[in-house]
Amino acid sequence: MLTRQRIYWIIRDMHLYAGLFVSPFVLVFAFSVFALVHPSRQSRPTVSGSRTVRNLYVPADIEKDIGSAGLVAVRRILDQCMVRGEIGFIQHLPRENRLIVPVSVPGRETVVVIDLKGRTADVSNRETGVMGSLALLHKSPGPHLVDIRMNWLPMRIWRWVADSTVYLILFLSASGIYLWLLLRAARRVGVVLLAAGALSFVGIIYALIG
Amino acid sequence: MRSSAEAAPLRRGPGNFESWNRCAHFYLGLYLLSFVWLFSFTGLLLNHPRWAFADFWPGRKESTIEQRIERPPAGTDLEQARNILDQLGLQGEIEWTVERGEASRFDFRASRPGRIFEVSTDLGRGQARVRRIEVNGWGVMRMLHTFSGVRADDTRNERDWILTSIWTLTMDAIAAGLAVIVLGSYYMWWRLPQKRVWGLAFLLAGWVLCAVFVSGFNVSL
Repeated sequence: MLTRQRIYWIIRDMHLYAGLFVSPFVLVFAFSVFALVHPSRQSRPTVSGSRTVRNLYVPADIEKDIGSAGLVAVRRILDQCMVRGEIGFIQHLPRENRLIVPVSVPGRETVVVIDLKGRTADVSNRETGVMGSLALLHKSPGPHLVDIRMNWLPMRIWRWVADSTVYLILFLSASGIYLWLLLRAARRVGVVLLAAGALSFVGIIYALIG
Repeated sequence: MRSSAEAAPLRRGPGNFESWNRCAHFYLGLYLLSFVWLFSFTGLLLNHPRWAFADFWPGRKESTIEQRIERPPAGTDLEQARNILDQLGLQGEIEWTVERGEASRFDFRASRPGRIFEVSTDLGRGQARVRRIEVNGWGVMRMLHTFSGVRADDTRNERDWILTSIWTLTMDAIAAGLAVIVLGSYYMWWRLPQKRVWGLAFLLAGWVLCAVFVSGFNVSL
């Protein structure tokens, strides 16, 4: 039977090991906040390379369905261009008979402009660096274009990792409160700081909502 | 129950880094708790827009009012927009939604968590039309997560409301606080020799997995 002492040690070990495992992801989310909240306009990523791919196999009527079903056909073209990553959206320009497809990988943005009639694709890359990589991971999967997003396996795995990070943070904070409550000497100051944090939280949100 | 952690009193005194670090770990965690829970929970909401219970947009309330306004004095677009908002009794982060064409037409959006005001003005006629969109608590929470007044891919909009600046400073402080908690926890773990092997295994597993993602998946997947 589990004694209270045993429960304490189990929770303490789980707090330690779960915290160590999730710590890099917490740092990713923490540092990416600075990139998202203070985006550097001077260091906008510049085109680091461009090329044209010719003689592509373009599936018939690809432009007629640029939703989730069209992803497969577009992915087939991207494979021919040796471009991998998460497709952001598919934009059809009917007059030019072109598709514009931005593709993201942490650290790099690629824009592929597919000429459907000429069966060519212009591929341009932008390196976004480590902070760009962190910012992309922070924002993924995000709330937009639900039907097509997470169309690349590593990003589907990342969605699971991002959710797990949140659940582990909630576990760490709950187990942290349990462990703190057992520290009698730290209770009074802890309660004051917990209340101060809650008050400042309510205060700033009250001011923002108005 | 009296735990061994409780039995070991908190050592105080200058220069006692171990004690200071331990206190910083849980006191900082307690202070930031409400904020961390908000951003954790809203992060889940943002990643799961199909969760029906938190779908706030269809239930939004919209109303439109028209009001007479004075032509704002000459100045920058921001100063003029702020002047118009003052006349309308509104406050919020100003966002430029359309290019300014005719001199007499001046349209912009002002938003704050939970409310969006789309302002269209005809300065020649001294008339303003305000479309007000109000969302419920789920919408407020979701907007709080992303309310920074700037976007990396949008060079036109700058942060222009004092409360947005305070909120972004709060975000910075939470991020910095989390970093302190994490880095401090490494030291606390290292000071427990009997936990080093398993701790190192978990830490390395986390770092390797994280590096795979941050490096742009430069592995065969």
